[in-house]
Amino acid sequence: MACAKEYSTSELMGATVARQIRNHDTAFIGVGIPLIAGVVAVATHAPNAILLYEGGGIGSRTRRIPWTISDNPTTDNALAAVPIWRVLSDMQRGFVNVGIIGGAQVDRFGNLNSTVILGEGGSYARPKVRLPGSGGANDMASSARRTIIMMRLEKGKFVERVDYLTSPGFLSGPGQREKAGLRGGGPDMVITEKCIFRFDNQTKEMYLKTLYPGISKDDIIQIVQWDLKVAPDLDEVEPPTEEQIRVMRAYDSLGLVLGKKSTGQLETFDNFYTKIKSAYESIPLNLDH
Amino acid sequence: MQQNLENKVITLEEAVSRYVTDGCSLSFGGIIAREPMAVAYEIVRQRRKNLTYITDSSVEPAEIMIAGGCIRKLEAAYVWIGVVGIGHNYRRAVEKGIPHYLEIEEYSNYGSSLRFLAGAIGAPYMPTQSLLGSDLVTHNPRIKVMEDPYGTGPVALVPAAQPDVAFIHVQRADISGNAQIWGMLGNDENIARAAKEVIVTCEEIVPTLEFRKIPNMTTVPSYCVSGVVEIPFCSHPLPVSGYYWMDVPFRREMAAASKTREGIEAWMDEWIFKIKDHRSRVEKIGAERLKKLRQLEFDNYRIPRIEG
Repeated sequence: MACAKEYSTSELMGATVARQIRNHDTAFIGVGIPLIAGVVAVATHAPNAILLYEGGGIGSRTRRIPWTISDNPTTDNALAAVPIWRVLSDMQRGFVNVGIIGGAQVDRFGNLNSTVILGEGGSYARPKVRLPGSGGANDMASSARRTIIMMRLEKGKFVERVDYLTSPGFLSGPGQREKAGLRGGGPDMVITEKCIFRFDNQTKEMYLKTLYPGISKDDIIQIVQWDLKVAPDLDEVEPPTEEQIRVMRAYDSLGLVLGKKSTGQLETFDNFYTKIKSAYESIPLNLDH
Repeated sequence: MQQNLENKVITLEEAVSRYVTDGCSLSFGGIIAREPMAVAYEIVRQRRKNLTYITDSSVEPAEIMIAGGCIRKLEAAYVWIGVVGIGHNYRRAVEKGIPHYLEIEEYSNYGSSLRFLAGAIGAPYMPTQSLLGSDLVTHNPRIKVMEDPYGTGPVALVPAAQPDVAFIHVQRADISGNAQIWGMLGNDENIARAAKEVIVTCEEIVPTLEFRKIPNMTTVPSYCVSGVVEIPFCSHPLPVSGYYWMDVPFRREMAAASKTREGIEAWMDEWIFKIKDHRSRVEKIGAERLKKLRQLEFDNYRIPRIEG
């Protein structure tokens, strides 16, 4: 398959996450870039994957990405629409192979924070920065058979200790998930816009495994705040295919998930209407698969 | 004897003034989509205070009721604006106490969902294998971790939620409160059974015969319901399956206004305090615009017609 010639880092990240959804996977889709990764996977290499949205939509077929986990396209042409408590129970019961989550901070064991940044002298009740909270991220991290973490690699995000543990990774190390009573498999990898980390089978510690083009090992090491281990067989990420990029741009024609979300650029309503209508009208809906 | 359905139809103003009292606990149906925005606006307009808002994940309804100073305590898994930006009003309240600080009791979406399930079946709590090992347990003393007495290991218990009043916005209801939901279901079946008083708001009131044609579609039966209000475009700018799409530019404008306290105050003046009622707000949004939001949905999904 032909590789795309130009693409943004968000698109590269979206394509990399999409590749992690395998054909026949039952994939639980959270808010943000996972919304596009799921749709891209189904439209390209994984037509038999079943996407579960947190709002309860199962296996929808749509002509644009859902803008939230409960937006109308999460149930358009779906196989089923069930209540939230039901779809989350299905995950606790073990039906979900893969869940994709993000956060504002992650530590070496893949524990995630999406609740508060404490800051100097701050507390949980009076933090420097309040974030949205768990949503369903804690539930995915607890019960999906494997989770994929998606985060931008920025200073202050890959920390020795998260300010608040919203979604459990391997907690304080080997055996700790089992001891806490968690049933899901825990994090499998961390996908960023510069590299991919994996977790050591024995120590459960995150290590650098894959670099993106033009990025060096040192670029990563200086951002990560703990003594990062690096795989001896460090490899390079596959660039997105032309097809993946085409699908992403068609399904997210307004760039709502893949960027351009600054509230400063207010589109007029008529622009929004015309653009989005012509975008979905260009997408054939194939309900045979 | 002739059947005579109880007519529970009331106005939005009446529903809020009678059932949403200062200090009460409140839940909404829907999740990010199909939340009853018109009700949130009316609660702000009637300047309700000290409410406990019990939700799974909520966007603009939480934001606007926080900005309006109506909420004292949040029991939630997620509050933000999602795809259009940051939850500025939530941040300002928690970080700076503007308009005032909030008490927060946090769960995950599953934890919140199980609280409504427990409330709906009359159980005091539900056990789950979510939440274990996390700081949700550390900072929320109402989540109890214990050993399963049947020997399977640790479980987290979440307490039942039975809000004083819940508003469930649906596509179709009859005058006695039977309600059909199309598309995304949320936790509505349980919220409707857990709450002490339930007001069903709907896009359309339809004859009871429509329910008899397809009884599997009745998510809320009338015996749960105290009042029914017909409010077309109640969820705008959020989407409702079979009726309209999300109004992204409108949401962006509110999010942009929310960047400063002065901005959101001006926005509330324009869209809530200086507006007489929901009908006037719909006129201000504009018929042409709403027709287009409906068209976007009709191009992609329509509620199937059920033959009698």
